[in-house]
Amino acid sequence: MISAALLVALTTAQPAVDAPASEPVIQRPAAKRDAEPPAPADAPAELSEAEPSGPAAAEGPAPAEAAEPTPEPTPEPAPQPEVAVAPASPASQPTDPTETERFTVASGDGGPPYYTDADSQALRERHDIKTQAPDRTDQARWNCLIADPTCGRSFEVNALAAYTLRGRQGDVSGTGENPRWSSGRAQYDFWMNLPVITDIRGRSKFTRMTMGPKGGLIFSDSGSTWGNVGMAFRYWLGRGRWAPTIEFSSALSFKLGERERVDRGLEQPGWKMTRGPVGFTADVGFGLGGFGAIVLGGQYDSPLAREDIPEPFRTSAGGAFFLGFRGNILWGGPAAAAVATHIATQRGVEAP
Amino acid sequence: MFSPLLAASLAMEPAEVDDAELTTADEEGAGVYGPFFEGEPASDIEFVTQPRPDQLPRLSVGKGAFCFVEGTYCKASLLLSADIGFGMRAPASDEGPDVPYAQFTFRWGATIRPGMLRGKPWHAWGVGPVASWSRGTGSLTVKGDALDQELDSTDDTTVLRIGLVNQLWLSKRNHAPHLDFTLGAARSDVLTSGVKLWGSHAELAMGFGGWGGLFLSGDFLDRDTRVVMGFRGHGIAAGPIIAMAIAGLAAGGAL
Repeated sequence: MISAALLVALTTAQPAVDAPASEPVIQRPAAKRDAEPPAPADAPAELSEAEPSGPAAAEGPAPAEAAEPTPEPTPEPAPQPEVAVAPASPASQPTDPTETERFTVASGDGGPPYYTDADSQALRERHDIKTQAPDRTDQARWNCLIADPTCGRSFEVNALAAYTLRGRQGDVSGTGENPRWSSGRAQYDFWMNLPVITDIRGRSKFTRMTMGPKGGLIFSDSGSTWGNVGMAFRYWLGRGRWAPTIEFSSALSFKLGERERVDRGLEQPGWKMTRGPVGFTADVGFGLGGFGAIVLGGQYDSPLAREDIPEPFRTSAGGAFFLGFRGNILWGGPAAAAVATHIATQRGVEAP
Repeated sequence: MFSPLLAASLAMEPAEVDDAELTTADEEGAGVYGPFFEGEPASDIEFVTQPRPDQLPRLSVGKGAFCFVEGTYCKASLLLSADIGFGMRAPASDEGPDVPYAQFTFRWGATIRPGMLRGKPWHAWGVGPVASWSRGTGSLTVKGDALDQELDSTDDTTVLRIGLVNQLWLSKRNHAPHLDFTLGAARSDVLTSGVKLWGSHAELAMGFGGWGGLFLSGDFLDRDTRVVMGFRGHGIAAGPIIAMAIAGLAAGGAL
């Protein structure tokens, strides 16, 4: 059934063409036809019963084209021996550029590309596709370990140093207090950047937006340590090494440990593993290249307060807002700032 | 409108392929077929810094014979990574409630690509031994009723695992994605008993080259099950993070 429909469509839509089966014809706009060179003697010549075959058909425009204005033809950069001659249109029919000119599928092994280099060049010129050198020829730093628009898939380690306003809600000890305190935040993340939107300039591809998984560690005062696993996005507003960027990351965060305190009746002070339900953290950043960004974000710690959890093991909800700077550790500055923030927070801040 | 395309497609019906061509393709190592295993499509557009396909895997020796970071065209690779994960610890119903569980892990091992060792330039299958060590959050057991509860807990949980990882590489691209299936055994503290027992371990992971990826794993011991999902990074990336974290904790007096 389908085959019959295809046959009818071919019969009605195609002019009478008796081209060789191995070299099907593809149509091209009529504006190109005037500039086409005569077909060589060995080119497929049998095209249409309504037009003369061979070089005579390429010697001048058809009568219909002589009567109506056509755009300025674009000269072909090179002869196309395999380009077939287009059939002439009757004078009474309007010329449809898409149905009067033909390319010839290149013969060969049968694999792509299906057109000749001359065809591709003509297509680039027609649609103003540039083929000159790309805007940037310099290489990205550190083999793309610092993110760059010229990189495809890339990986980076970022460090964040931030001022943090922490809070805790619903103290399960029954005091009814909701303490808030100023603190610091150090966060070390491994980002995997996969390009999801790209720009093409010339023959070069540039990353516009990356998205990928990320994970790492978060530290704050009192030995508080969280892990986080999530996604990181970066949108490039330019193609330069220092192009501005918008970053957005979100992750599930979970408590890994904290420092136990003697004043809370615990036996030994020191950092210990601590359980906690999965929370959430997210931030948005405005940066320059892959070097660094000003980051604003927040975090929420879910409470562990189910009824079947014994009272001594319950935890209360908590959270934080933070404002800081995040950058690639290969730059050095962000890593030093994060470690310094971590140390200062441990020594100078104690959770109430 | 479609008739020219139809005419072209009909005229380009592939000719019959004889056995000689198939044999030749297989001998050249191209005998892996499927939607994911195709090479890079022909294109004259590429990233300026994108490695050419003919470039050797980075951080490798012997023209990809051994890679320190897994790569698409590595015949043998070193596994060295660290990960963090979160999930649930589910004891037997009469041992206490399900509680949140989190862990950090160090993992090492090696993989080989048997098909490539046999001479094919690329093959999707990789296999190798793997081991890992984890430190996780502690256990909590609650026995008895509300009026007479018997509580017990531990500070942390240590797990040692050994297993066999089977890899399925999904692409020939650089930093190609791959699925990793690991089956093995885990030795760990069981609840609050203080006794270490052997159990089984299974993991499904998706990696990007050798640099990292996501995973879902489980340790199944007697009356003590833990299911964890997390993120894994190669040691080259995880090392600096661990160093900075320890430096901050130690210099800050938290340890």
